[in-house]
Amino acid sequence: MTALTTDTPSNTHSPAELREKKDRRRAIALLTPGLLWMTLFMVLPMAMVIYVSFWTQTTFSVNSTLTTASWERFLSSATYLGAIWTTLRIWVIVLIATIVVGYPVALFIGLFVRNKTLQTALLVACVIPFWTSFLIRVIAWRPMLGTEGAINVILMKLGIIHEPLTFLLFSEFSVLVGMTQIYCVFMVGPITFMLGRIDISVIEAARDLGASFGTIFRRIILPLSLPGVMVGSIFVSVMVLGEFATAASLSGRKTNLLGNIIVSQVGSLKWAFAAVAGVVLTIIITAVIALALRLVDLRKEM
Amino acid sequence: MESRILRPTLALYTVLFLLFLYGPMIVLTILSFQSADGGPQFPIREWSVYWYEHLLGFAETSRVSQLPVGDSLLRSIVLAFMTTVVSTVLGVMSAEAFRTRFKGSGPAFYLIILGMMVPGVLVGLGMALLSNTLGIARAWWGTSFVLHVVYTYPFAFLVMLAIFNRFDRTVEEASLSLGVSPAQTFRRVTFPIIFPGVLSAMLFSFTLSYDEFARTLFTAGRDLTLPLAIYGTFSVEIYPNIFAFGVLTTLFSFTLLVIYGLLMKRFTSKASRYSGQEDA
Amino acid sequence: MLTLNQVSRRYGGATALDGVDFVVPENTYMALLGASGAGKTTLLRLIAGFEEPDQGTISLNGARIDGQPSHLRDIGFVFQNFALFPHLTVAENVAFGLRHRAHAPLTNEAEIKDRTDAALQLVSLTGFGHRGVSAISGGQRQRVALARTLVCEPRIVLLDEPLGALDANLRSRMCDELKAIRERLGVSFLHVTGSETEALTMGDQVAVLANGRIMQSDAPDTLFSHPGNAEAARHLNAWNIFDAGLCRGDLGQGPIAVRFDQIDVSAKGTAPSARPSLQATYLTGEFNGPTALSFFRAADGTLLQVVDHLSQPRLPDLVEGQGYDLHFAADALRQFHGAA
Repeated sequence: MTALTTDTPSNTHSPAELREKKDRRRAIALLTPGLLWMTLFMVLPMAMVIYVSFWTQTTFSVNSTLTTASWERFLSSATYLGAIWTTLRIWVIVLIATIVVGYPVALFIGLFVRNKTLQTALLVACVIPFWTSFLIRVIAWRPMLGTEGAINVILMKLGIIHEPLTFLLFSEFSVLVGMTQIYCVFMVGPITFMLGRIDISVIEAARDLGASFGTIFRRIILPLSLPGVMVGSIFVSVMVLGEFATAASLSGRKTNLLGNIIVSQVGSLKWAFAAVAGVVLTIIITAVIALALRLVDLRKEM
Repeated sequence: MESRILRPTLALYTVLFLLFLYGPMIVLTILSFQSADGGPQFPIREWSVYWYEHLLGFAETSRVSQLPVGDSLLRSIVLAFMTTVVSTVLGVMSAEAFRTRFKGSGPAFYLIILGMMVPGVLVGLGMALLSNTLGIARAWWGTSFVLHVVYTYPFAFLVMLAIFNRFDRTVEEASLSLGVSPAQTFRRVTFPIIFPGVLSAMLFSFTLSYDEFARTLFTAGRDLTLPLAIYGTFSVEIYPNIFAFGVLTTLFSFTLLVIYGLLMKRFTSKASRYSGQEDA
Repeated sequence: MLTLNQVSRRYGGATALDGVDFVVPENTYMALLGASGAGKTTLLRLIAGFEEPDQGTISLNGARIDGQPSHLRDIGFVFQNFALFPHLTVAENVAFGLRHRAHAPLTNEAEIKDRTDAALQLVSLTGFGHRGVSAISGGQRQRVALARTLVCEPRIVLLDEPLGALDANLRSRMCDELKAIRERLGVSFLHVTGSETEALTMGDQVAVLANGRIMQSDAPDTLFSHPGNAEAARHLNAWNIFDAGLCRGDLGQGPIAVRFDQIDVSAKGTAPSARPSLQATYLTGEFNGPTALSFFRAADGTLLQVVDHLSQPRLPDLVEGQGYDLHFAADALRQFHGAA
């Protein structure tokens, strides 16, 4: 037998290694355009934001002389620091609100509706509003919450109130309501998905053994749905933190998020200040995502 | 037992939730039929389609200026189409690459996914700064377009990744064993089977890009896209013409959805699902 | 002729194939028998070129094929799950290779149709061409998979547990058909299976794959009556393998094997003194129709099986838990030297 063997010198690669190399080269070739695109049009612009935050701001333009003046102004300004606080506050409230509002709905659709068609229909019903432009959905809250809006009109007709409620629109309240409505579907979806994977027979078995719903919820449903809550929270967080349109439309300029600061600074050509606000926002979002990714492996859950 | 109370309670809650989701749109639709002298609030003085006529330019000149719908709509559709093509191609290529295990796949995955996580206002700002520095003119078909792809490509990628996860590669191997080259195998076997997924990726990309404005705001230059035209009305007083516009764009989106549904149905009826192989 | 020379394949730390030497002669139905996880599928995938060996060479008719892309190897592959193209009809599935192959694709539609029809006729599926592949039964899908492969006239056909997804009735019918089709075409089949009955029925030759190596490759009757080593014997599911030291008589040490049907049972202490024998406890019996299987436990814990044909019963009435003498003719045992 050995006489037939064409001895391959040990320094050449085996067919298996060559194949593996070829497959890897192919994968990298396929991936290169996408990664290049992301590097050029995402990483580079973000690096630019950081770079420009150290440029010198003059009244109408910026020049590339490096300085920390913009940072100093930003960090010593009550308005800007207030924007950081507002952004964080609104983020936390909206995040909790979407979980509180969305979880029971997800529980119902994912666990209590056994009929697949009805389940799909309900999920589709949740998604349909997305076929309306985001900005239109924001603006739709104005005729709803305004002093002559639907809610005030209805409450007055019912005689519950006699004066229209004025805090409904152009306040932080309207921003919170609008954001909760717009983003809670991103919470409902992932949680429903996770709950839908629970084997109903496990719950029935637990019930047969005499477990109350409270126990079943605590021991089975809640732990299994937590990855869904985490994924939903990531979605909602990145969207809310980068928001500015809802606040611009519904707060009557009373609520200023970091996003609004960026938009208004760009509007008055204060590029360096806008960049500083951008870097601050990046730091906040990075911290939030990093925290979330420590708790959940996104690649596994998707 | 408890589910006897819990179940109806949750059902009622879900109904209320749907009302919360749809309420504003319902009110908006009602108010879009406000009369010409009515404002963007109750009561409805007289039912009319005046604001639809106003929107489409059929109404006589009025105190309210017409929304710049026509050109911006066209721009938005072209932009969404360009974005769809590029991000779907990139998404399919990247997902195909991820079928082989290779070193560095983790960072590459997160680099792509980052595109859907980075706030639009941030990359928009960065791109505006970059184009200022490099002296490149900002335009919706240039600086905005590349950012739209940054946003939609991760979605297309994730959709295709899910499709390839369920893909049985023995059909590809079967094709190779019949002497068909890898390229032809992709064209004749892989692509037709993943096509429903490709359609979904396209639908995702199109709708996201069509509605995107945070990434467009700083990068579109002089010409407005549709969301920018709407955003422009935020700062001034609103009139029911924007409500009429909201109703029409929603109808337009549904038309797209129906087209997608029909394409999907046509495809899936031609070849029943792949799982048909297992049941003997 | 397909020749594998010292072929090895490792996955990380696990060795799937460890220096396989194997020959599939021309015009032969070769059955490859192995337990699940023995590396059978890996072996086929290496031959087909879906994977490459870490060491060793694979050649077909004297020319090396390892390292070649699989679509240039001209080797047919029939998958366990059939792997039909779900988006194509039966006829399109069969014509696929002819139409799209890299080397000499057919463009003449009439010729494609003739060859497709002929292939469908070969597997008795005439008239099914227009059907979707999801609209036919499991057995029919298997035939489509076969026709699709055969129509391209490969140099050798690899079949990966081709009957595994079929029910028992269909399996035995397909066995006969596969054999008949192969004989008509004169091409070699390499049929991988985990069932010893299937391997022995189908193969002109049967090879046993275990521990990443080919243990024995022989004609089925030779293999069955003269397994060359303990592993080969074990895979035939017809041999008791136990240590020679258990037996009365001078058999020495090391594993020996005696076929299930060549062991006789008598009451304790009554074994004929001329025959090698050992003591074992009767555990239980199993009735399989024409045969009955009795299980015994030897002193060192080895499980022993004895087959009794109902037409010619040899066994006394057995009581569970009681000890018996198991004995056999001296020429019935096979003694293995070297590794167990």
